[in-house]
Amino acid sequence: MSNWQSPEATARLNKRYAAERRFKLLGLAAIVLSMLFLAVLLFTMLKNGISGLDWSFLSGSDSTDPSTAGVWSAVKGSILTMLVTLALAFPMGVLAAIYLEEFAPRSRWVDWIEVSINNLAAVPSIIFGLLGLAVFIQFLHLPRSSPLVGGMTLALMTMPVIVISGRNAIKAVPPSIRDAALAVGASKVQTVFHHVLPLALPGILTGTIIGMARALGETAPLLMIGMRAFVSTPPGGVSDPSSVLPMQIFLWSDEVDQGFVQNTSAAIIVLLFVLIAMNGVAIYLRNKFETRW
Amino acid sequence: MPISFVLICVFGLGVIAWAISRARSAHFAPVAGKLKLALPGHYGLYAAIWTIVPALLAAWIWSLISPGLVHGAILADPAAAQLPAFEFERNTVLNEAFALANNPNAFASDTIAQQLAPAIAAAQAKFGWIGAAITLIVALSGLAFGYTRIKAGFPARSRIERIVLGALLLASFVAIVTTVGIIASLIFESARFFSMVNPIDFLFGTNWTPDTMASASSDMGNDLGAVPLFWGTFFIGAVIAMIVAIPFGLMSAIYLTQYASPRARRILKPMLEILAGIPTVVYGYFAALTAAPIIRDLANAIGITNASTESALAAGLVMGVMIIPFVSSMADDSIAAVPQAMRDGSLAMGATTSETIKKVLIPAALPGIVAGVMLAISRAIGETMIVYMAAGASANLSANPFERMTTVTYQIAALLTGEGSFDHPTTLSAFALGLVLFIVTLILNIIALRVVKRFREAYE
Repeated sequence: MSNWQSPEATARLNKRYAAERRFKLLGLAAIVLSMLFLAVLLFTMLKNGISGLDWSFLSGSDSTDPSTAGVWSAVKGSILTMLVTLALAFPMGVLAAIYLEEFAPRSRWVDWIEVSINNLAAVPSIIFGLLGLAVFIQFLHLPRSSPLVGGMTLALMTMPVIVISGRNAIKAVPPSIRDAALAVGASKVQTVFHHVLPLALPGILTGTIIGMARALGETAPLLMIGMRAFVSTPPGGVSDPSSVLPMQIFLWSDEVDQGFVQNTSAAIIVLLFVLIAMNGVAIYLRNKFETRW
Repeated sequence: MPISFVLICVFGLGVIAWAISRARSAHFAPVAGKLKLALPGHYGLYAAIWTIVPALLAAWIWSLISPGLVHGAILADPAAAQLPAFEFERNTVLNEAFALANNPNAFASDTIAQQLAPAIAAAQAKFGWIGAAITLIVALSGLAFGYTRIKAGFPARSRIERIVLGALLLASFVAIVTTVGIIASLIFESARFFSMVNPIDFLFGTNWTPDTMASASSDMGNDLGAVPLFWGTFFIGAVIAMIVAIPFGLMSAIYLTQYASPRARRILKPMLEILAGIPTVVYGYFAALTAAPIIRDLANAIGITNASTESALAAGLVMGVMIIPFVSSMADDSIAAVPQAMRDGSLAMGATTSETIKKVLIPAALPGIVAGVMLAISRAIGETMIVYMAAGASANLSANPFERMTTVTYQIAALLTGEGSFDHPTTLSAFALGLVLFIVTLILNIIALRVVKRFREAYE
C-alpha cells in the first residue's frame, strides 16, 4: 500500500521543495549582495568625486590646497612606471614562456623555474616591495621614489602573470602548425617565432594587459620604495622623484582637509576608468582574436 | 661625449653591419651539392650582434670602473691635499664637489669643494672620452670580425639560434633570481635584526611598541614582541574576512554553476570578477570613509562606548568582500571537477538539487574548496592597503572586533616609510616580519596547490 500521496508525504515533499527554494534564493542573495556592495562603492565614489572632475583637476599637480590639486603629475608617474614595467616584464615574460613551453628539457633546473614562477605569482605584493627596497635601493643605490625603481619592482611582480598566461596561450596552438612548419624545413626557432608566437600573441597580450592592470592599481610595494613623496611638478623622466595614481589616492585619503575627500574620490574615478578601459581592451582582444582550433 | 650619442653610434654601426652583411651574402653562389645554411637576414643579424653586444658590454664594464678612476685622479690633484683627513668629512666634501661638477648651480658651502669641482669635471670628461673611444673601437672590431666570417658555407642560422636559446634561458632564470633575491634579502636583513634582538623575544613577546628613536640596547626585545601583530593578522585575514568570503563565495559559486542559466552566468560571473579587479587602495578608502563610521555607529548602538573609527571589523569585512570572487572561482573549479555521474546518480535517486549539492557535490569537492580557502587566507594576510587605511596602528591582543588592531603588513609598511635609520633594530624588524609573512604564505600555497593537484587526480 503506497502512501506517497498521503498528507504526511505531501507535507514532507513540500518542506523539501521549500528548502530547495530557500537554498536557491540564498545563492542568488550572495551574488546580489556582492553586486550591491560593488554598486554602493561605485556610487559613493561617483557621488563624492564627480563634481571635482574637471579639466583643471586632470591637468593639475599635487598641492596642499585641495581646490587647486590635480592628478596629472601622478598620472604621468603612473605612465612612466608602467612603461618601465612593460619594457621589462613583457619581453622577459614572453621569452620565459616560450622557453618553458617549447624548448625546456625535463630537468631539475626547469622544475625549479616552474616552482618559482608559480610561487612568485602568489607572494604578497608587499614582499616585492621589501625586495625592491633591499636590492634596488639599498644595494644598487638606484634613485629612490623614481618610476625606474617602481617599474622594476612591479615588473618582477607582473612577470609571473605574463609567463603563466603566455604558456597557456602557446599551449593552445595546435601541434599541426608546428609540424607543418618543421616539415617544410623551418628550424625549431623559426617555427616558434614565425608561426606559433603570432598565433599565441592575442592570448599573451590579454594576459599582459590583465597583469599590467593589476600593477597599475598596486600601492603597497611602491610605498616600500618611497614613492610617497609630495610631488608638485610632473616627473620629467624615469629617474625623477614621482608619485603614482594609487599612491596619490592614498596620500589624499590621509589629509584632514575635507576638500580632499572630493579629490580622492575623483582620483579613484580616474583610476577605475583606466582599469575598466584596460580590461575592456583585454576582453575585446580575447573575443576578436581567440581561435578555437 | 654624451652616453646616448655613443649608444646611437653603436646601434648605427649595427644597422650598417646588418645591411652590408646581408647584401654580401645575397650574392653567394649556391654551392653545388650542399644545402643553403642560412638566409641573408641571418648573416645580417649575425654581424649586427657581433657589432652591438660586445660594444654594450664594454660600455657597461667601463661605467663600472670609471668612477674609481675619476676618484683616483681627483685624489692625485694638488687641491685634494687640503682635504680633511677624517674619512666622513672627506666624503661629505667630495660629494659636494661631485654635485657641483655635474650641476654648476648646485649649492656648495665648502671652498675646497669649489676648488675641486673643475678638476672633477675635467676628469669626468677625460674618462668619458676614453670610454666612448673604447666602446666605438670594440663596436668597429666586432663589425670587422662578424663581416669577415660571412662566407658561403658559414652556418649563420644555427649560430643565431644558439644565441636566441641563450636569451630564452636567461629570461627564464629571472624567475629563479627573483625568488633567490627575495629569500636572500629577507634572510640577510633578518639575520642583522636577530643579531640584535633575541628571536624568542620577537616571536613570542606580547608587547609591541616600536620606537625607531630608542637607543639600541639589549632589552629591545621587550618592545618588539610580534604576537599581537600575528594575532591581528590572523583575526582580520583568516577569521573576519573569511566569515564574509567563504559563505558568499561558496554560495555564489553554487548559484552560478548549478542554478544560473548559461546566459545569466555569462553576465554575472564577469561582474563578480570586477570585485577582484578593484585596486586595494580603493577598498581601503571605502573601508575608512564609509564602512568604518557605520560600524562605529553600530558599536555605539549595541552599547559599546568609545568605539573608534578604525576597527578590525571594518578592515576585515571589506577585505572579505574583496576575496569573494577568489573563493568563488576556486569553488567553481572544484565543483566543476566533480564527475557528472555523481550528480546524476543523486538526482536519479530523487534528491532535489539542493540536497544533491549539500550531500554529494560539496563533500566531493571539499578538498578543492579547502585548498581554495587556504589560498584566499594567504592572499588576505598579505593584503596591505585595506588594513593600512582602516585597521589602525595600535597593537592589540584582543578578540573584540570593534577594537583597533594592527597587522604584520601594516607594521612592515609603517616601519619602512618612517624616518628610522636602516641600522636600527626597530626598522630591521620589518624584514623579520616580512620573512615570517613570506614563510607562512609559502607554506599555505604549497599545501593548497598539492591538495588541489591530488584532488584533481582523484577524479581523473
